[in-house]
Amino acid sequence: MRKRIIIRTTLVAVLILIGIFLYTIGQEHKVIIDNKDIIVNGNTYNASTVYKIWVDNQEIGVIEKNGRAVTKVTGVSHKIVIEAISDQALSGEKHERIFKFKSNEGAVINIPAMVNALNEWIDKTN
Amino acid sequence: MMKKQSSSKKMNPGVYFLINYSVPIIFTILVAFAIPLSKLSANYFVTEIMIRLSRNSFLILALLIPVMAGMGMNFGIVLGAMAGEIGLIFITDWQIVGMPGFLLAILISTPLAIIFGYFAGIVLNRAKGREMVTGFMVSFFMNGIYQLIVLYGMGNIIPILNPSILLPRGYGIRNAISLIGIRQVLDKLIPLKIGGILIPVATFLVITTLCVFIAWFRKTKLGQNMRTVGQDNEVARISGINVERTRILSIVISTVLACYGQIIFLQNIGTMNTYNSHEQVGVFAIAALLVGGASVAKANIPHVFIGVILFHTMFVVSPRAGKELMGQAQLGEYFRVFVSYGVIAFSLALYAWRKRVEKENERKKIMGYRKSILVK
Amino acid sequence: MKEKIKSIINSVGLPRIIIFFFLISLFVLAPFVGVSLDTSLNDVIVRFGMNGLLVLSLMPMVKAGCGLNFGLQLGIIAGLLGALTSIEMEIVGFAGFFTAVGVAIFFAVILGFLYGTLLNKIKGDEMVVATYVGFSSISFMCIMWLILPFKSPNMIWAYGGSGLRTTINTQGYWFHVLTDFLKINIGNHITFPTGTILFFALLTFLVWAFFRTKIGSAIIAAGSNPAYAKSCGVSVNKMRIVSVILSTVIAAIGIIVYQESFGFIQLYTAPLYMAFPAIAALLLGGASTEKASIKNVIIGVFLFQGILTMTPSVINNIIQSDMSETIRIIVSNGMIVYALTRRIERAR
Repeated sequence: MRKRIIIRTTLVAVLILIGIFLYTIGQEHKVIIDNKDIIVNGNTYNASTVYKIWVDNQEIGVIEKNGRAVTKVTGVSHKIVIEAISDQALSGEKHERIFKFKSNEGAVINIPAMVNALNEWIDKTN
Repeated sequence: MMKKQSSSKKMNPGVYFLINYSVPIIFTILVAFAIPLSKLSANYFVTEIMIRLSRNSFLILALLIPVMAGMGMNFGIVLGAMAGEIGLIFITDWQIVGMPGFLLAILISTPLAIIFGYFAGIVLNRAKGREMVTGFMVSFFMNGIYQLIVLYGMGNIIPILNPSILLPRGYGIRNAISLIGIRQVLDKLIPLKIGGILIPVATFLVITTLCVFIAWFRKTKLGQNMRTVGQDNEVARISGINVERTRILSIVISTVLACYGQIIFLQNIGTMNTYNSHEQVGVFAIAALLVGGASVAKANIPHVFIGVILFHTMFVVSPRAGKELMGQAQLGEYFRVFVSYGVIAFSLALYAWRKRVEKENERKKIMGYRKSILVK
Repeated sequence: MKEKIKSIINSVGLPRIIIFFFLISLFVLAPFVGVSLDTSLNDVIVRFGMNGLLVLSLMPMVKAGCGLNFGLQLGIIAGLLGALTSIEMEIVGFAGFFTAVGVAIFFAVILGFLYGTLLNKIKGDEMVVATYVGFSSISFMCIMWLILPFKSPNMIWAYGGSGLRTTINTQGYWFHVLTDFLKINIGNHITFPTGTILFFALLTFLVWAFFRTKIGSAIIAAGSNPAYAKSCGVSVNKMRIVSVILSTVIAAIGIIVYQESFGFIQLYTAPLYMAFPAIAALLLGGASTEKASIKNVIIGVFLFQGILTMTPSVINNIIQSDMSETIRIIVSNGMIVYALTRRIERAR
């Protein structure tokens, strides 16, 4: 009798763990990427050029000055790579960041902040 | 003085076959007429049937186990469908996508399906002899409970994080939810394209697994118990089988399978009509099974597939045939609803009539035997 | 004393007692939440007249042992045909109403006979088959409504489409002929629909008298004890067919009364589920799958329509939302499930 209870509780616990696992790796999060001026600690960082964006090695597109791109990603850990475009060609100036999500979070990423290596490059929203 | 006893009507085997399989035969004739009428291309046809096979078979397979246990056609699969839908509402709310979303929906709705199935099983046990009507009414009743949960509870007592799926008034789920996150996630799992048509390999694999499972289940002790219960309750009871528990178990298994079947169905379609998706599930699944040649007492795997093909062919063909024939597609649509209900009415009536005729013959035999003893 | 209460609860059934007290509490609550008591009472009475006959129609079949008439839709179809014919022939007023009834009875007898013969072949399994026979006949009629040659401009689609409309207005024909007949106005809000209630009382009396005749008692005998009936020379099968015809005829008249009061003839899929509220009402009134009396009909309709009228208005004013449809589903279907499961308990 006791053995049955133990087995059943373990089974339920395992299922709950699987559930949490599926929840975490399966949740979709919204990512907004802005190429806008940003003010941090009183300093303004300007958006200068056009950038090409990759998230998780997938090309999202190109953002002009003051432009915005929106995309959805699934799971916890992601990588964003941006490359400046000058004179209609990729400049080779790349920036890369890794960001992680908790449950039910979204993110707003600011390109000028990212370029200038600020801590405020990403803002998590609920 | 010995009266010549007229023994039970011995029908010539040809007539017997015709009557037994009257439903699939009539259907095949109907369909054979309607296909050329509808002027649909063979390509379209084959694709449609294949999609519908992959979409609906799981649900219909869920009906087989209660038949084994003598519970007749389980109208209670609607309860399983509802459980599945509640699971899907949650994963849409939490925005879980892809295969994890699909699996999580299954994970969450299983306990719910078990509870619903258990409730249905208990009610059906208290209505022995009229399981089908009761099952039918229970499904309507549960629809009310489902509405209570989904239309009033969600957003109120049950926390919903994502307001976009709620009604404008702030609580209650919207009429239609997009399942785009898990759309065709099972179908496309193992991609295979033949001639430009996507074949849902994974789904078919899952269906095959279920068929194997059912075949295996028949041979297990529990399966054998169910068959005994299905044949004769008293004999089963004397053999020490817990008849009530076995019956409940058959309904629970059926409900859980129906829950998965509905999730598979909805992932193919990609949208969920929150309040309507499950309504016709029971009727169409049962009609399809009966069209495949099954009866209240006997249903097995070939019936399922023959039934899906015949029934859904009629489904696809009717509106177009109606349009070509009488200029109104609406006619075809009403026709296919009429046929669905009619098939069930006809099959059930046929089965009930045959059951009575057999009982009468049994009675006559016993009386004849007694009489012959008396005379001696 | 405790024993007596317990036995009453057992025989009447806990759900019925709960619903009764629920209804009383709704009436008490009503004025406090801003629901006018006289309008509500009036509504209940009007709905009583509207639905009473449909519930009454279930009684003969239960008495004959045919179970609950899930195939009520057949009688409804007969009634619809009668109503449509009467409008097609452009007959108004009482004459129109009675033409409708007459034609309906004609169809009802034919349909009832066929239906009864079918039921005789499947004794013991009537209810399930009846449900689907009912559904499939409504679906069949959907096709018929599209192609039957009705010409009256009030009934067919306006822009030269073919087929009948989904809802047809009875206004101008025999809308409220019964309801306004001898109507009594009490105060501002109550209009007592004397005509409808009188008609219902008349038919109820006829049914009651019928069951005191020879055929009537034969039907009761066939229903409660077929073997005994047979030994008395009563043809059980014939009696069942008579009861089915009677039920179908009353249902046909019932739907015409319903339309007369409601104001619309509803075709196509509307009548699909009409059997269930009627059955639920009968069961609510104390009937079972084997026993039904006129008392059950009257109590049942009153309770059921009471709940249907009071619950939405009271609860809507309290919770500020419309739960009426859901509550209706739960109460009516729950009642039927309960009755279906109780039968076995009694037999034990």
